[in-house]
Amino acid sequence: MAAFGMKLSSVMKILPSRLALLLAFALPTAAAAQRGDVYTEDRLNQLQQSITMMTGQIEQLQHRNAQLQQQLEKMQTDYEYRIEQLEKGGGGGGRPAPRPGAQAAAPAPSAAPSHGGGSADQLYDDAFKKLQEGDYAGAERGFKTFVQRNPQNKLAGNAQYWLGETYYARRDYQNAMTAFAEGYKAYKASPKGPDNLLKLGITMAALNRKSDACAIFARFSQDYPRATDLQKRRIDQERQKNGCG
Amino acid sequence: MKLPRRLTMMGGVALAAGTTMPARAQLTIDMTRPSFEPVPIAIVDFKGDAVGAQMAGVIRNDLQNSGLFRVIPPGSYIQQNVDATAPPQFPSWRQVGAAGLVVGQVASSGGNIKVDFRLWDVVVGQQATGLSFTSQPSNWRRLAHIIADAIYKRVTGEEGYFDTRVAYVSESGPGNNRTKRIAIMDQDGANNRYITDGRTIALTPRFSPTLQEIVYMAYGENNTPPRVYLQNVDSGRRELLGNFPGMSFAPRFSPDGTKVVMSISADGNSDLYEMDVRGRQLRRLTNTPAIDTSPCYSNDGSQIVFNSDRGGAQQLYVMSAGGGGERRISFGEGRYATPVWSPRGDFIAFTKISSGGFGIGVMRPDGSGERMLSSGFLVEGPTWAPNGRVLMFFRGQPSGAGRAGAVTIHQVDITGRFERQVPTPTDASDPAWSPLIPQ
Amino acid sequence: MRMIKALTAIAAMVLIAACSSNSDQQQAAAATTTVTPGSVADFRQNVGDRVFFDTDMSTVNDQGRQTLNRQAEWLKKYSNYQVTIEGHCDERGTREYNLALGERRANAARQYLIGQGIPAARLKTISYGKERPDPVGSDEAAWARNRRAVSALQ
Repeated sequence: MAAFGMKLSSVMKILPSRLALLLAFALPTAAAAQRGDVYTEDRLNQLQQSITMMTGQIEQLQHRNAQLQQQLEKMQTDYEYRIEQLEKGGGGGGRPAPRPGAQAAAPAPSAAPSHGGGSADQLYDDAFKKLQEGDYAGAERGFKTFVQRNPQNKLAGNAQYWLGETYYARRDYQNAMTAFAEGYKAYKASPKGPDNLLKLGITMAALNRKSDACAIFARFSQDYPRATDLQKRRIDQERQKNGCG
Repeated sequence: MKLPRRLTMMGGVALAAGTTMPARAQLTIDMTRPSFEPVPIAIVDFKGDAVGAQMAGVIRNDLQNSGLFRVIPPGSYIQQNVDATAPPQFPSWRQVGAAGLVVGQVASSGGNIKVDFRLWDVVVGQQATGLSFTSQPSNWRRLAHIIADAIYKRVTGEEGYFDTRVAYVSESGPGNNRTKRIAIMDQDGANNRYITDGRTIALTPRFSPTLQEIVYMAYGENNTPPRVYLQNVDSGRRELLGNFPGMSFAPRFSPDGTKVVMSISADGNSDLYEMDVRGRQLRRLTNTPAIDTSPCYSNDGSQIVFNSDRGGAQQLYVMSAGGGGERRISFGEGRYATPVWSPRGDFIAFTKISSGGFGIGVMRPDGSGERMLSSGFLVEGPTWAPNGRVLMFFRGQPSGAGRAGAVTIHQVDITGRFERQVPTPTDASDPAWSPLIPQ
Repeated sequence: MRMIKALTAIAAMVLIAACSSNSDQQQAAAATTTVTPGSVADFRQNVGDRVFFDTDMSTVNDQGRQTLNRQAEWLKKYSNYQVTIEGHCDERGTREYNLALGERRANAARQYLIGQGIPAARLKTISYGKERPDPVGSDEAAWARNRRAVSALQ
């Protein structure tokens, strides 16, 4: 996503520079406009056509960008899920993950009953599956139930984060903001903490609360000095996008 | 000629037999399924008055034209004499293959006519629905359309669209100097009448939500530029909607009828403006050096879709109804024009121009799910039936040897099936489908 | 029988065609000799009353400029005329868009004439979109002739 974002912004930079070039051509002619308004009119027409053409190109690029972003977000969710499955298998039970599939892990006898056990895991996995399938309302219910029943579970921070994502995917930014804010308050130290804060800022920006968003992005490096490079880069991009000082 | 007065609805669903029946396969139709068989239905001439046979004819025509019904020809009916109130001989109707049977009775009462009808479910041998109306005798066609709507609704679960009108542009005369005048007719082509006299070109009519007024664009006398007029349908009184130095065109009512959005051109450039119908205040909605025209409000009145060539070629854009937040929604190959928002809000229909010719299509309001419904040398200007299930548009044939090609109005359903020509007394273009006529 | 009918019809058409082209030629021949200088006929035949545009375009091309230059000279000489510039389109666009495009074409021609020194007050515009084709026809040649701005004298 980062690579594409850069590409697009560089294209956006090229377009105005082409415009400047055109103006440079047009102006000397305008100076010679004594020869007749016709030439000025001509140049203006040409400029008009160039702007129109560029408007069309920008519209196309924005459209393609939005499409790619959607695709990438879907891929990212999928990817994060797989990693999470691996981490769960490798961390929690102290056993190597057999497969990045939830069902295989669920009936395992060593699943510790102390933190909710198989049923909590099952609930989480079901909700996640719904999220992947695009059943956001179903996923919302699942993650909500999970957090209510297992607020101390090691996956509670993740569930709170994904709950926010179910709203964000439906462009319900108000509820998304509430969910991410709750995530930041209650599960700041969760493995999803950095993603959660990043998303809180993005959601604020989507709600047109730019200065709040900038304040959140500014807090990121203090709260999560050991965030991944990818996350840090994303924060930089968002700061730039929203014109944060 | 006058439009029918308000109908007096008597009795309502009085005849319906008690409880509602459970859904049955044969007399119901699930339009969400990709393929379905049209419902075989028999419609007996209504008894009691000569107009009864004509009413049955109108109902048959409406239902058959929808594509969702197969009307069984009256000649094949075994039971010739059906009592309008007693149950029919169900086996004989099953034998002719009918799933539904419509019977009716017309009676005169104090200068009015009273019409009772029943729809029998032949498959299970029970009444499916029944209604009773009283109105002026001259309203018999409307009564027939209202009955057809009731049958359509009972069988499909969707609102009907037969009790509606269509405004359009009637075209006649030589190709280089055609007379183009606004006309109104019933949805099935009946009761045609002219709204403008044809001395100057008049185009792009649209009904107000109450059907009492239409807006359209007409040229002035002595070749003065086109302006937008608001005309009362019954009285014929017309007024200019704003007198601007440049041409004003492409008028459309807001769903609540309080505003008209239109294009006004100045120095060769056309932008969109909204006019408050009562106060006549004008508000600018777009401000680009491009052509912004063919606007249409969303069904809830909160947004406007229009076409603009600001990006080089005509494309579709959606903005907030008060202007602002403009975003392009069409990204396919070719040019997109004349967007119209479905009365249900679920689709936007459009004209598409590509190298292969013209097409009529629909897409969702976010631009996804584009689907073409019809195509040809020239197809243009879709308009929705009030139930958002059926569209009309116009089709032009190539001109040749100085003669204008024929222009005709066509109807097609939202899946692209059941296309048919709508009969008009002259060549016809620019159809605009009305909402259901207020009862 | 039917065959004979068809043949006579074709023969009749050929005759008509021959007649019309004959009379055209006669008219053209007459034009250069007998047209009164400063008349509407003079403007149409010796100056050219229309300019043509490319598909979907509203910029005046080189050929159009030459015509408009001649128009400007003539209009300066005969300053009693007012001009309404009619913008037109071919039939390969939608009705309302073409009304707007015709307006843009008429305006482009008007601006050019103003640039050549014709007072703006003498020049009005009107768009006919695709409603008044000349010639009537559905081929490339007809469409090219229909994408036009016509200066009508009053």
